[in-house]
Amino acid sequence: MIISVNWLKKFTSIDMPVEQLATLIGERLVEIEGIENIGEKYQNVIVAKVVECAPIEGTDHLNATKIDDGGVAEGVERDENGLVQVVCGAPNVRAGMMVAWLPPQSTVPETFHDAEPFVLSVRPLRGVNSNGMLASAKELDLFDDHTGILEVDKDCAPGSKFAEVYELNDYLLDIENKSLTHRPDAFGVIGFAREVAGIQGKPFTTPDWLHDIAPQFSPVQNLEVPTVHIEDPALSDRFTAIVLSGINETAQSPVQLQTYLARSGVRPISASVDVSNYLMLLTGQPSHTYDYDKFKALAGDDFSIRVRSARFEEKLTLLDGKEITLDQADIVIAAGNEAVGLAGAMGGANTIVDETTKNVLLEVATFDLYHLRSTQMRHGIFSEAITRFTKGVPASLAMPVLAEAVRQLTEFTGASVSSDIIEDYPGVREQITVNINEQHINETLGTHFSANDIAELLQNVGFEVAFNELDATVRVPYWREDIHIPEDIIEEVGRLAGFDTINLTLPRREFSATKPQPFDALRSQVRALLVRAGANEVLTYSFVHGDMLKKAGQNPDDAYRIVNSISPDLQYYRQSLTPNLLNLVHPNRKAGYDEFAIFECNKAHRKSAGQTEENVPVEFDSIALVIAKAKAKGDAFYDAKHYLEYVADVLGLTLRYEPLSDGDATAAPFEPARSAAIFDAKSDSYLGVVGEYKKSVQKGFKLPDFTAGFEINPRALHEAVQNVGQRYQALSRYPGTERDITFQTPSDVTFQTIINEATNALTDTNFITTVVPLGIYQAEGSDEKNSTVRIKLVSYNKTLTNEEVTAVIDSVIARVVEATKGRVI
Amino acid sequence: MSTIDVQGVLQGLLQQVAASDTPREVLKAPEFKQMYGAIAILPAEERGAFGREVNQVKVTVEQAVEARENELESADVVALDVTAPWSVNGTKPQLLPTNQGTQHPLTKELDNVIDIFTRMGFDAIESRQIDDDHHMFGTLNFPEDHPARDGYDTFRTEEGFIPPAHTSTMQHRILKDGKAQLEAGGHIAAISYGRVFRNEDVDATHEHTFYQVEGVYVSKTANLGQMLGTLRSFFETYYGQTLRIKTQPAYFPFVEPGLEFAIEKPAAIGGKTGDWLEMLGCGMIHPNVLREAGIDPTQYRGFAWGGGVERLVMLKYGIEDLRHFEAGKLAFLRKFKS
Repeated sequence: MIISVNWLKKFTSIDMPVEQLATLIGERLVEIEGIENIGEKYQNVIVAKVVECAPIEGTDHLNATKIDDGGVAEGVERDENGLVQVVCGAPNVRAGMMVAWLPPQSTVPETFHDAEPFVLSVRPLRGVNSNGMLASAKELDLFDDHTGILEVDKDCAPGSKFAEVYELNDYLLDIENKSLTHRPDAFGVIGFAREVAGIQGKPFTTPDWLHDIAPQFSPVQNLEVPTVHIEDPALSDRFTAIVLSGINETAQSPVQLQTYLARSGVRPISASVDVSNYLMLLTGQPSHTYDYDKFKALAGDDFSIRVRSARFEEKLTLLDGKEITLDQADIVIAAGNEAVGLAGAMGGANTIVDETTKNVLLEVATFDLYHLRSTQMRHGIFSEAITRFTKGVPASLAMPVLAEAVRQLTEFTGASVSSDIIEDYPGVREQITVNINEQHINETLGTHFSANDIAELLQNVGFEVAFNELDATVRVPYWREDIHIPEDIIEEVGRLAGFDTINLTLPRREFSATKPQPFDALRSQVRALLVRAGANEVLTYSFVHGDMLKKAGQNPDDAYRIVNSISPDLQYYRQSLTPNLLNLVHPNRKAGYDEFAIFECNKAHRKSAGQTEENVPVEFDSIALVIAKAKAKGDAFYDAKHYLEYVADVLGLTLRYEPLSDGDATAAPFEPARSAAIFDAKSDSYLGVVGEYKKSVQKGFKLPDFTAGFEINPRALHEAVQNVGQRYQALSRYPGTERDITFQTPSDVTFQTIINEATNALTDTNFITTVVPLGIYQAEGSDEKNSTVRIKLVSYNKTLTNEEVTAVIDSVIARVVEATKGRVI
Repeated sequence: MSTIDVQGVLQGLLQQVAASDTPREVLKAPEFKQMYGAIAILPAEERGAFGREVNQVKVTVEQAVEARENELESADVVALDVTAPWSVNGTKPQLLPTNQGTQHPLTKELDNVIDIFTRMGFDAIESRQIDDDHHMFGTLNFPEDHPARDGYDTFRTEEGFIPPAHTSTMQHRILKDGKAQLEAGGHIAAISYGRVFRNEDVDATHEHTFYQVEGVYVSKTANLGQMLGTLRSFFETYYGQTLRIKTQPAYFPFVEPGLEFAIEKPAAIGGKTGDWLEMLGCGMIHPNVLREAGIDPTQYRGFAWGGGVERLVMLKYGIEDLRHFEAGKLAFLRKFKS
């Protein structure tokens, strides 16, 4: 929204420089996105009077004029009477006309911001010297008007500065209107000016006509008037109308009015249209005119204005010639049974006002903003009018605006009033009253305003405030229907005085720092460990394409589906993190990274997990890692497992690996023969999956052969870590002994069997014992393998003798050999 | 009626697939040609049903072929001893070089933010990633169909759940959970942090997925001056310098008054006097929001704020494109060594 500072000044005084004004408005009302100085381009434009005007022979349209500039232009050639010769090609040029003259050396305003502005000179045209030019509204960069040069319509002397005559030494403020959604009043210049007064601490005087909510007219000629019926009060609070006759549809509005429209971004058209737009810009209240006679003809026997819901499949051709099919949520204005307008959005072609129009029906109404919002979206109509209606125009505004429109139309178009005001007003509201006390305001804001300060701030912008001691009754003006509760008043006081004037403090309270939640701390620890282990943390989207779920072997039916996504890539909630990570392997590989591990700590969702007590879906926390090595050979499984063991070791957990049987969605991408289910050995609780991926998954995500990973549940991990307890073992003062043993066993004996049996054999020794893997060897084609472990023994009491060590080692060997049907080599 | 026993044909084909080493060949079986051929000669009113039945056979066989192919592929898979520490004839695996590891800059910054607020006495609670209308809007004073809801561009699931568009989706829970503490003479002080979602096209400055931190403070004496003081104190700690702040009126249904909060751009990130950074939205918690959580707004007042995390990170490191955060590019991630 663009607002002219000069227009604001008609309603309130502004003494500060425009930059300061913009800052103040930004701090106390709404953000200003830009300031445009429009005055600079008019500095050399002079108002002149055409004294003589004669056609130039041999041309069909050029005139040589002599103009009187009051003698103000310097350095121009003048005739003996002091007049300046200017050639003009406009059809409307004539002697006696007041015009805008661009003297030599001045820049044509329309080209002022061009890369090469057009600077005028003395130029012969058909042998006649022209000193500069007489300008059209377009050349003056005011508005598009092709009728010819601009006729200055204000009383002023030749030689006056054009910019002063038309108040063009002006700045335009570009307002960020999104944050004014709740302030329909600020969508009018008067309402905005009221705020500008308020934030400057100045009282604002609302124009009398805007206060007059019950104006009187005396009709000149009484035409038959339709009745007005709002068929459902939910559609409209108020519909008022009046009939006017004798409107001259070709009459132009005063240039001054047209320039203010143009400054606000609205094109001047004709006086009757301009008045409607002008009042809308001024007050925020749109209006509409229908051709009375066409309306009456369409209404037939039922001469009524009906505000109703559109009927099923009802059609309407709009003013712009487009036929639309209405929705039952659209509001329609009907002449009797016949739709003649889409309420708040656009009139119908069947009642259009044109040159043949004799009488008009002027409508000033309000409509339900929710209905209009849906109409706006459905039919893609984003006019200035509907934008204002969808902010919620107050019903009380209708009558003052109707009265002012009638006054201006009478003045500018020669119209006369031909009926009484007709209306239906089901939405009459009581004036809003809010009770509040001074303490409530100051305690909420952290301020020290006196009752007087508060009253003054509010009264400046039209609230009526009556304090009784410290309790106030605030009567809210009709244009502020957004104010209902004491907190709304508190906001007004804080805002008008400036939130930036409030003293900053910290809450006074029992102070204690809080600790992060233990789960969050564990997750941070795992994250830090993986980073230390050379892995890179990634964040990936929570939503995935259905194809990705399928590629990973997951069932889309178990994924929450997004129904209004702008992109098919955001179709489903992910069921686990692994597929997203797999999706990153190939692109990074292509970008030249041969060896990497990526991981993510995040959440996943599945329908089958059910809902919480609050009836919202259960969320899974998850940590997944994928390691890929483009050129490595061998079993990637053990690399992934090594990462896991590294984390477990630091956390003090012992993990157990079991064959992966039928898995859930997390396990879906993993190849069962080359993956394991992970358990905490102590609590037996399931932690997740580690392994390589199915062939189909490898193919689908274009993974290198050497790729593996894990996905674990950090909540289960957290539980397991809670049970770790004391991990420190006192050191012995005596030296320890190591023995390496190689077991040859059938190849299907698991390594864990050897470790378990050895560990069990050592349990009763009372020594500090450790069993460490050293090597696994299997000759090609053999069905036996050699597993080597190192056994360390330390006693708390003494240095162990060779015999004692041998006895322990023998017991280990005996137990392992028996369990594995193997032998020691 | 067609004379073809469609179900019988299907069973036959499935048996062929199960027994075949080249199951895809079965899709070229003459039975398909016969069945499709039969459609054309059926009476018009029977064609639809029969055609659908034949198509279903085709789909079922295709699925069986895919399953059989996977099975055949997996048959080549050599099982591993998952309990072993490394491969047969292999050596102990090595971790990747530690200097290659990086934490994501967003989670790192989030850690910083959380650390400051916990030291200021705020509990830190992770925000949900799927929620309902009640928590996202209803309890936060957004009436049904209110235009303010539009500004949030929310995604929705089939069931009507909402991927939250702000971390304020936790506010009602924080208030309800803190009510007892409040009424025992204490206060509520918590932040919620996490991922939020908006249905937007992605470009260098827009993302549909981003991170926010929301703060809530409620006590008998909370006021706007305290809110601004708390926020300034946070940013001064975060940037390690004193800062000027400014505010601008704003409209959010769940606060009254509502403000936008800006800081003067800190010198540490190249700021000069008069450069302002809009950091977050804030305000005094609307009485309806307190009331909704069972807290008496005539006894207690609160303030709340919420802002994005990406902004902080981008300013800190001079990151030019919002899309880097969720792109998972090592070229980006490995720039954040610590």
